[in-house]
Amino acid sequence: MKNIVRAFVVVLALTGAAATTLTPPASAQHKVTATRTSMLPVPVCAPDDPNACGMGLGGH
Amino acid sequence: MNVLNFHLLSQLQYVEPALCGMLVYFLVRSKAARQFGFLIALLCVRLMCSFICIPLLYFSAHGIERHLAYQVYFYVYWASYALEAIFSLLVIYSIFKLAMAPLKGLQTLGMLVFRWVAAISVAVAIGVALTPHLSGIKFMVAMITQLQQTSSILTLCLLLFVCFAIRPMGLSYGSRIFGVSLGLGFLATINLVNSAWIAHYVSMYSLFSVINALAVGLTLLTWSAYFAFPEPKRRIIVLPTTSPFLRWNQISMALGDDPGYVAVGGIPPDLFAPAELEVMRRASAKMPTALESPSGMHSLSA
Repeated sequence: MKNIVRAFVVVLALTGAAATTLTPPASAQHKVTATRTSMLPVPVCAPDDPNACGMGLGGH
Repeated sequence: MNVLNFHLLSQLQYVEPALCGMLVYFLVRSKAARQFGFLIALLCVRLMCSFICIPLLYFSAHGIERHLAYQVYFYVYWASYALEAIFSLLVIYSIFKLAMAPLKGLQTLGMLVFRWVAAISVAVAIGVALTPHLSGIKFMVAMITQLQQTSSILTLCLLLFVCFAIRPMGLSYGSRIFGVSLGLGFLATINLVNSAWIAHYVSMYSLFSVINALAVGLTLLTWSAYFAFPEPKRRIIVLPTTSPFLRWNQISMALGDDPGYVAVGGIPPDLFAPAELEVMRRASAKMPTALESPSGMHSLSA
């Protein structure tokens, strides 16, 4: 049990570290590059997006 | 695919406030609200965000102009995200404080280091966002992104520390401190993975949002389980006398103590009382006699 938990934690940390190397620098993009873990849909587009990021279209 | 995601997210968005409310109830019921006050604040921010965003999502298709609804949604969502980034740092801080409570010396030293790291993280986040072509909302987004990334890295460091130093701190894997750290670590990993992935999506109703929703649901359920059941008692901490934890704790406890002071020179005579001066005068009058006549000692011993 102890080893499973430890292995899981190490995997989480390594995954996080690997993802950090793949993340573009925040200042290098004009698009939203942050994420908030939530059950609400993530507004990934700019606030003045002409398509309103698909909001109110029923997923189409 | 987007239609399927839309229907899935439409159902899941109502689950989050329910789970957050349930977790706050368990926290209060288990009398852990005081210990985990910042976690409650974090959950309340999520609840508030849900209460504003869910009606916006609904009315964007039934009344409110959808571009306007998206703008309001965007700002509410990311403002709550900024608040969450700050509360996440405070939750990590309080978890570290709780975890290290039995080792007071290391706790003080660790918290000092943590405050410095947090201050440097905020400074780096502002520094990274301060580029000539970024201003207004772009500056804020860049700064919050960087702050979130450093906060996620700090969270993972805390999780590693709690996981590997769990025995010397008297904790077990059933402890709430470990449970909260595990949940935060899981969310931090998802955050970091998503940050690398988000650039590929142009719609709110993507697979990306579904994975986010499932991750947060799993975390909230894990926390609920930890707070719904009684916590195992913290074990008596027995450390060998050679333990580096014990040694470093003793050293840390001595650090920062107010030291005593001794005057070694430049003392004006009027600082002393007349009686003290008389004692010193008599003592100094006796000293040369005692030093000059060792024969006196011989005669005494004889």
